[in-house]
Formats: sequence, structure tokens, C-alpha cells
Amino acid sequence: MLLDSLDLTAEAFAGAAGWVAKPEGMCKGDSCVPVPGTVGDDGGLDVAAVAERLGMALVADDDAGIWALGPESGGRALTTATVPPIELPDIDGNPFDLTAMHGRKVLLVAWASW
Amino acid sequence: MWQALHEELEPLGLSVVTVALDLDPDKARRWIERAAPTHPSLVDSDHRVDELLGISNVPMAVWIDETGTLVRPAEGAAVQPSPFAAMEITDEMPERLRAVLHEFKQMPETGPAYRAAIVDWAERGAESRFAMSPDEVVAASQPRSADHSRAAACFELGIAAERRGDHPAAMAWWKQAHALFPENWTYKRQAWTLESTPDGADSDKAQEVQDTYGTSWSDEFLATGGANYTVIPQL
Repeated sequence: MLLDSLDLTAEAFAGAAGWVAKPEGMCKGDSCVPVPGTVGDDGGLDVAAVAERLGMALVADDDAGIWALGPESGGRALTTATVPPIELPDIDGNPFDLTAMHGRKVLLVAWASW
Repeated sequence: MWQALHEELEPLGLSVVTVALDLDPDKARRWIERAAPTHPSLVDSDHRVDELLGISNVPMAVWIDETGTLVRPAEGAAVQPSPFAAMEITDEMPERLRAVLHEFKQMPETGPAYRAAIVDWAERGAESRFAMSPDEVVAASQPRSADHSRAAACFELGIAAERRGDHPAAMAWWKQAHALFPENWTYKRQAWTLESTPDGADSDKAQEVQDTYGTSWSDEFLATGGANYTVIPQL
């Protein structure tokens, strides 16, 4: 995920990265990682500390003044079997939320023109 | 191909959802229009599902049950016999083609079995022996190292640079991503396909990009090996 600032609330981080700050630590689906002291009284998040604890690469593009935060690492590509929120457009730009498929089995196939 | 599978399995409660990993959605348009899909056909021009689901080449697929839970992780999604497996390697072929075909033949033939597994799951749901438990799905997903995380971040910074119109900066980020995660063919093929050939034509599928990336699809395919070109479904 791209960041234009490292001043981020825990709420904004949860919305973008899927990791929610809870009393037991940073949680995604049913998995939680203890990260003491990373959420301040004002709800601000120590992004660098959380990134390090979760094994998320934090890479700065100094020329552009932005950062990219890689996914959590040190384990498997999936930390939970719960499908993360996925909303993508169709070719005409109409958004489609994957949760609309609940109640059906889905074979989600990634392909490309290349 | 996916439309036909969707039509076959929709009465059993299974829907295909396709996701095009194309930085430029218009590159995907003619394929989508030709397929005329009746299933959701989405475009992921930011490559978000690469890291969300662990997609590292195309075609790859995940299985999602009725509750939104993964029952199989990202794996190579060939659903028909490989056209290369049956192809005879002859002495008349150029040496490089012979080497590439030889490597293709190192890939286990999984298309028919994977297709049969999808049909079995459509019919039997959670009772299918191919449907995994949540713990099994997580354990069966690919390893993710710190380098893989850094590669994802670099690839994303490359996309941001490309969208700013700074192609040299994009290439520099993408080269880092390629070096950090060589098994991720999505990062490589997407980046290479933006390069033109020396005579100015669009890059083709063979993606010979010596002039810009100092490499080519066949160089890397031969170096990585056919068996590592995709995640082989363990059925």
C-alpha cells in the first residue's frame, strides 16, 4: 500500500492494510500479533514499529515523497483463510464488491493480456 | 475458456470471477469483449490481488466457498492439457526453442486433473477432497519472506512512478522487485510488456527486453526452470 505520510491513525491503517489494532495486538482475521506501545493515546500509529513487527517492508521513494508498505512476511502468503475485502472495477469502471458472491462458490482466476 | 467453465458449473452454484492484472485496462479490453463473459470480469490495474492472494503468475486461481472463505490457495490454473507437452522436439528447431520446450516438458501436466478437481468441488462442496480447511489453506499458501514483502513495495512504487509518467524511475523500482522475488513472473511480465522492441514495435509475448532490462523471457525461463514457472497444484 502507498502512503504519502507516516502519520496514520490506527483506523486508517486498518482500512488500508487490513490489520486492526486491538487490545491483544494487531489482528487480521483470526490471527493477532502482539505489538505493545504502537498505538498512541491520540489513536496515532507508529507505522515503522508496526511494519517491523509484522515483517512489512517499508520502502521510501524520496524523490516522490511517498512510501510503500509491503505485505506482512515471515510466514505464508496467507495469514488467514478469510478473503480480504476486494472491490475492483469491471472494464467499464463499474465497481464490484466480491462479497456480492456470498452464497456461491467462486473460482477467482487471475489472468492478463501479457 | 473461463466463460465455458462458468456456463458449465453455474447450475451447480459455482461462479467464475476473472481478474485481469493489467496496468493499462485497455490492454485487457479486447480479450474481455471477445470472451463476452456473463460472469464478473474485473480489472486489477494496481495488481492488488498479487499480494492479497499470493498471485505470482497467470493464470492462477483461488477457490472461495459460499461464506467468503478460501478453500484452496493461489495455484497455477491450467484447466486443459498443455499444448507444449505433446509437442515433439526436433533437431530442426533452433537450439533455444528446443531448450524452452524441454523446460516446458518439466512442468507436471496438471490441467485435466485441476479441471476435474474444480468440477468435483462444484458438485460436492465442502465434502470434496480437494476443498481444504482454513488451516490447510494458510499452510498450503506460498512462503512469504521479507524479500517478497520488499519486492511488493518496490513493485508498487514502480506503478506509482509509471502513473506519474516517470518510466525510468518505474523501471528502477521494478528491477529491484525482480531481483528480490525472481519467482514472481507477474512482476517481470507486466514490466517487460511495457517495453517496445528496438524497431519500435510493441513488445510481444516472447518479451525479449535485452536493451532495457538486460534479459528476456526465455533467459529467465531457462534459468528458473519450467518446474518453477507457476505454483503446481498439489491435488
